[in-house]
Amino acid sequence: MNRILSAGFRLSLFTLIFAAFPLLAQKSKPTKIKAAALQVEMIQSDEIKLPAEFQVALYENLIRQLEKNGFSLVYRDGDRNAASVANLVVLHSTVRGFKVGSERARQVTTVSGATSITVHCQFTSPDGTSLLEQDVNGKVRFFGSNLKATYDFAKKAAHVANKNFSTPGRE
Amino acid sequence: MTSRTTTVLIGVNSLFAGLVIPVANAQRGSGPVKVVQLTGLVGVKDNAKGTLGVENGQLHFVHSKASSDLSASSIQDVVTAADSQRAVGGTIGLMSMAAPYGGGRVLSLFRTKIDTLTVQYRDADGGLHGAVFTMPVGTADVIKKELVAQGAHTIAPGEPTSAASSSSTPNKEQKQ
Repeated sequence: MNRILSAGFRLSLFTLIFAAFPLLAQKSKPTKIKAAALQVEMIQSDEIKLPAEFQVALYENLIRQLEKNGFSLVYRDGDRNAASVANLVVLHSTVRGFKVGSERARQVTTVSGATSITVHCQFTSPDGTSLLEQDVNGKVRFFGSNLKATYDFAKKAAHVANKNFSTPGRE
Repeated sequence: MTSRTTTVLIGVNSLFAGLVIPVANAQRGSGPVKVVQLTGLVGVKDNAKGTLGVENGQLHFVHSKASSDLSASSIQDVVTAADSQRAVGGTIGLMSMAAPYGGGRVLSLFRTKIDTLTVQYRDADGGLHGAVFTMPVGTADVIKKELVAQGAHTIAPGEPTSAASSSSTPNKEQKQ
């Protein structure tokens, strides 16, 4: 009888431990930073020579993807309307790595000629306090022109913003 | 003897014409140029085909019965570059990938040279925009010169970049 009781006690203890872990994990989920609006600064590439079309495509795709991901207020670099917004988050992007591939090599060999861009994204408050920093990369491996890497970067960067920031009316 | 001389003369003339005509076409002034707007113009879809010209201080892009104008004075930077694209593209290019014995891959080897024109401009609120166009070889420089002549700004290569308008790209960067 004692054996049965002891086994039952152990079983319930194990069940409790295994059930408690997921609950604890949910509690430790990071909270999103509140942002009323995002302002995207122009992509900087002081250390690495980045062609102008890549710089512009990175910037334009980033703004478009942020808007698609539910950020209703996305201001551009230099927009005067952003100055009066409370809880504004400014996104600074600096190119840290750029490897220009070859569309021809990709199409002929499939395995070589990839284009990749690594961009350091820093989300700050308007006074410059850093809220979040992360490296995001964009790649084109198989199909498409080299500029498609900018679209890949923009999608990933928008996902990072979506994961870490909440805007009013959207969690 | 006479026929040989005639043949040589025709050959030399053809060669000369072949060298001169593309240059002359490229330097042809101010007419609208067939372009593809890759990204950036407000209200215009990506990869929209149309014509681009500079008239009365405006960069004028006409596409599918609609037009989009950009004041030259609002342009912060104009950069031209050289690029290339597949000679056989679009749906046929995509379908060719399924061709047997690597036929599609062979088609990928044939590429045409193109120019790219990148402009950065500010809207009425001061917001920075960028637009990228591709166009036939030799036409981007003509449009750039016209834009600069009509009030567009440009940053010289090597000049330090700023947050407002930055471009450290040397002109005419060749890539594939």
